Amino acid sequence: MLRHLIAGTRRALGLHSPGRNLDVWPDDVFLISYPKSGNTWTRFLIANLLYPHKHPDFANINELVPDPEALSARHLKQLPRPRIIKSHQYFHHRYQRIICVVRDPRDVVLSEYHFDIKRRAISEDHSIQSFVAGFIQGKVSHPYGTWGENVASWLYTRGNDPQFLLVRYEDLQSNGMREMRRIAGFLDIPADENQIGLAIQHSSADRMRELEKKQGHLWSSTRQTRQDKPFVRRAKAGGWKQELPEICVAEIESAWGGLMRKLGYESTISLAKVSLE
Amino acid sequence: MFGQFKYAVKYALGLDRAGRHFAVFPDDTFLVSYPKSGNTWVRFLLANLIYPNETVGFANINRLLPAPGVSSKRFLRNLPRPRILKSHEPFDARFRKVIYLVRDPRDVAISEYHFDLKKRYIDQDVSLEEFVKRFIAGETSSYGSWWEHAASWIAARRGNPAFRLVRYEDLLADSVGEAGKIAEFLGIQAEQELVKTAVERSSADRMRMLEKSQAHLFSSTKDTRQDIPFVRAAKAGGWKSSLPEPLVEKIESAWGLLMVSLGYELSSQSTVEATGSGVVESLLNNAIR
Repeated sequence: MLRHLIAGTRRALGLHSPGRNLDVWPDDVFLISYPKSGNTWTRFLIANLLYPHKHPDFANINELVPDPEALSARHLKQLPRPRIIKSHQYFHHRYQRIICVVRDPRDVVLSEYHFDIKRRAISEDHSIQSFVAGFIQGKVSHPYGTWGENVASWLYTRGNDPQFLLVRYEDLQSNGMREMRRIAGFLDIPADENQIGLAIQHSSADRMRELEKKQGHLWSSTRQTRQDKPFVRRAKAGGWKQELPEICVAEIESAWGGLMRKLGYESTISLAKVSLE
Repeated sequence: MFGQFKYAVKYALGLDRAGRHFAVFPDDTFLVSYPKSGNTWVRFLLANLIYPNETVGFANINRLLPAPGVSSKRFLRNLPRPRILKSHEPFDARFRKVIYLVRDPRDVAISEYHFDLKKRYIDQDVSLEEFVKRFIAGETSSYGSWWEHAASWIAARRGNPAFRLVRYEDLLADSVGEAGKIAEFLGIQAEQELVKTAVERSSADRMRMLEKSQAHLFSSTKDTRQDIPFVRAAKAGGWKSSLPEPLVEKIESAWGLLMVSLGYELSSQSTVEATGSGVVESLLNNAIR
């Protein structure tokens, strides 16, 4: 009872984290992705482009590109506008301006597997096969739905909206300059090649690994997790080709093959075998 | 300050209105639709099916087939499981088993216009033309636009065996058949006689009668203009006579593609380009029925 009264008081005072239901301003931009799709990296890229003088790191990233799951409603209200808000939410009709980062689900599942071990959501001997099966069915340790639901809910509603920018993690890896120019254009930030180049350099996997070593205990997503497992892991595209058992690849492709093809993630199994969702 | 204290106590007691903030159980079923798409009718149908010994009406529908939008968290928590809950939410990943009720947006627009006048959400002098403009922009409802609502659910769940798409129009044309299929989806053993009775007890005429005596007892009708009925035409295709052609065209050119995939024939020659190009087109095309 007391616990509930405290929770209620915190809510009444705006001290709770509003998550999905934060108060949205018309000039908010949402940086959205399914978990483990490069959202933190993109946050760093954007923060380094927008606020190079603040030297973005794990200690201040929640302030620079705020996370409604980590900050209080009151805090979020006081941030300077326009805000660029980090989110893993599936479709929400009040979110109007969206940068949507997508990543090949075959890599996403691997990344989530390792992250769930890091944060002790699963044990180290949990098999990847059973993890992938749960991942496809939405038995995941977060409230953001399945990869297919989450991505489709945005793409099918906002896919053609000029206020919606789709960015593939893989393109950000292979052609960071071009993709960052698109993002800067979408955000209406004047940015020359030099500035973008610096932002990319300051957000490199190596640099983020270094920062993680020093600040892992400070940041909401890495605090109280296993420190022997890194948050910034491979930071590569296509790791599934070596790491993901063939049967798992086939399961993912038969669950989401149609959507994957739309996004340019080619199936390895023959088209005939893909059951069209 | 007092308001905040009151809220804190209500929250602690679970008496605050649930809205989106309530515990969803894995065995819940949700009856989801955009507003003004026949949700109340289907609630009556289901309640009559499940509780054949109750007299289902506006006075008790919020208890028999509850709506988190108007119920408290405590009430929802204490309901016997499995629960069937009514919702107008756009895609919500927590809802695992879903009946999605969809209705021709040309009829939804007219229905919502009258309802908003009844509720005094809009002034008497707001024209239908002005309303439809806002309706298309998703500004008339706190649940967003018809198109985004339907597209978000269909995109995320089509093909999922725990998702059942029901068209209001089909339910109207073959009430017993469609209600039987819904019962089957819900795992309710229902003889055809029982389904027939439920359909009769949920007829528009009967609901109109109940509205007359119980409107003041129902969340959506109490404190509203009593000169505009809640149960209005209860028909499909009313737009053909009551929606001016330019407004029909506007809706069709905004949402034509999704309408066509849902089997709603377009009347105008308007191109459906607004939603027609690129990814949306190929994803939704023919995938729905």
